[in-house]
Amino acid sequence: MKKIDCDVHVRWKSADELAPYMEDPWLSLLKGGHIMYGHNGYPNPNGSYKLDSIPPDQSSPGTDPSFTASDLLDQYEINKAILIGESSHLAISNLANADWAAALASAYNDWFVNRWFSADKRFLGSIIVATQDPKKAAEEIERVGSHPQFVQVSVGSGSKMAYGNRFFEPIFEAAEKLNLPVAIHPFNDGAGIANPPTSVGYPSHYIEFHTLAINSIQAHLVSLVCEGTFEKFPNLKIVLIEAGIGWLPPLLWRLDKNWKGLRNEIPWVKKLPSEYAAKHVYLTTQPLDEPKNRKHIHQIIDMLPSKDMLLFSSDYPHWDFDNPFQVFKGFSSELKSKIFYENAAELYGL
Amino acid sequence: MTASYQPIAKVSEIRPGDRKIVTVKGKEIGIFNIKGTFHAFLNRCPHMGAPLCKGLIIEKIESDAPGSFRFKSEMVLRCPWHRWEFDIASGEPVFDPSIRAKKYEVKVKNGTLYCKV
Repeated sequence: MKKIDCDVHVRWKSADELAPYMEDPWLSLLKGGHIMYGHNGYPNPNGSYKLDSIPPDQSSPGTDPSFTASDLLDQYEINKAILIGESSHLAISNLANADWAAALASAYNDWFVNRWFSADKRFLGSIIVATQDPKKAAEEIERVGSHPQFVQVSVGSGSKMAYGNRFFEPIFEAAEKLNLPVAIHPFNDGAGIANPPTSVGYPSHYIEFHTLAINSIQAHLVSLVCEGTFEKFPNLKIVLIEAGIGWLPPLLWRLDKNWKGLRNEIPWVKKLPSEYAAKHVYLTTQPLDEPKNRKHIHQIIDMLPSKDMLLFSSDYPHWDFDNPFQVFKGFSSELKSKIFYENAAELYGL
Repeated sequence: MTASYQPIAKVSEIRPGDRKIVTVKGKEIGIFNIKGTFHAFLNRCPHMGAPLCKGLIIEKIESDAPGSFRFKSEMVLRCPWHRWEFDIASGEPVFDPSIRAKKYEVKVKNGTLYCKV
């Protein structure tokens, strides 16, 4: 069965790899080691990577294109992978300096093309943008968005504001114009200028941080629907990455119910929120919920507004990797074929 | 096929703290020397199919109360992917006895390790 993996993480061995794509004053900042946004304080106590994803030269997982190709694509019979930066890369949007962040985004995208796209045609990628200055972000999307291997725009869920806010419109306008979905990926929450990871502040432990990463994803989704983003940009597609799927049905039930009585507050929202979700929103499957009773995962899928919104993802090379040979055991071939390939092929025009 | 004892390695090859992964009758099996005792696991995690025997052998951490950490002398095998911890003796994940990692019986004879596969 053909497969497209919609969440594969890559990084550089050293941030020096960005140097050829930067000029002063930013190059000096890069060389001074000032790239990091400041850690959000939630290191994984057991390490972030699957231990067998370390390349033979002992470099960090996800830094070597040919090893990623053999270890993931060849081993798991995956036809195409949609690469995305680490959450620490998406966290350029957590930097206070919007110009520095925009320069990092451009350098990153140029590095991506040269390091990954030329290495293997099966690699597709996600444009990174700095959200501090949405107009500059839109210019960056226009600058690199027509590269045939860039198939979406990516932002982190950690943010100062929810993405339905009109402040961010230029990003969605540019993405829609180039027919690029916008992916929202968690785990840059709580660092730099972003808000705390939850509305009640900073949890103490990584397990809490990781579990609650869906909070900001939910807030962005509700905002995008209620602010009318999908009315303003009727062809816009949003991909919610690495948030799993089980939380979506009850959130949409609640939002649909509220909309029936509160529609007059947001009259530009012309149909049930779940209908917007069915048309505009996609979910990558990892980390797939693992209810004790396996039947419940099928019931959850039945509760989704559409089966066309599910996109297979492994999260390679991270520790919570979903193995494509095992994760959908017991699913019908028709559903597997939608999740593994058809939905992504349709969304990304592959 | 009936299980029978198969020679795996020389005892001297696997020092305390070491391991060896071998293929016997088409099965990948990891033999661990844990403080002088040998344990053999199928190299496949029952959760998601990871190469379990590439995981770390670590001390199990327990607690008497929130905020306290107690390191026991007991060791666990921790999966290299999702970090599930498996009891060395039973092969059960420490949190759920309803599934278990496949273990094989090991015996030592004349300096050779045998595994019942």
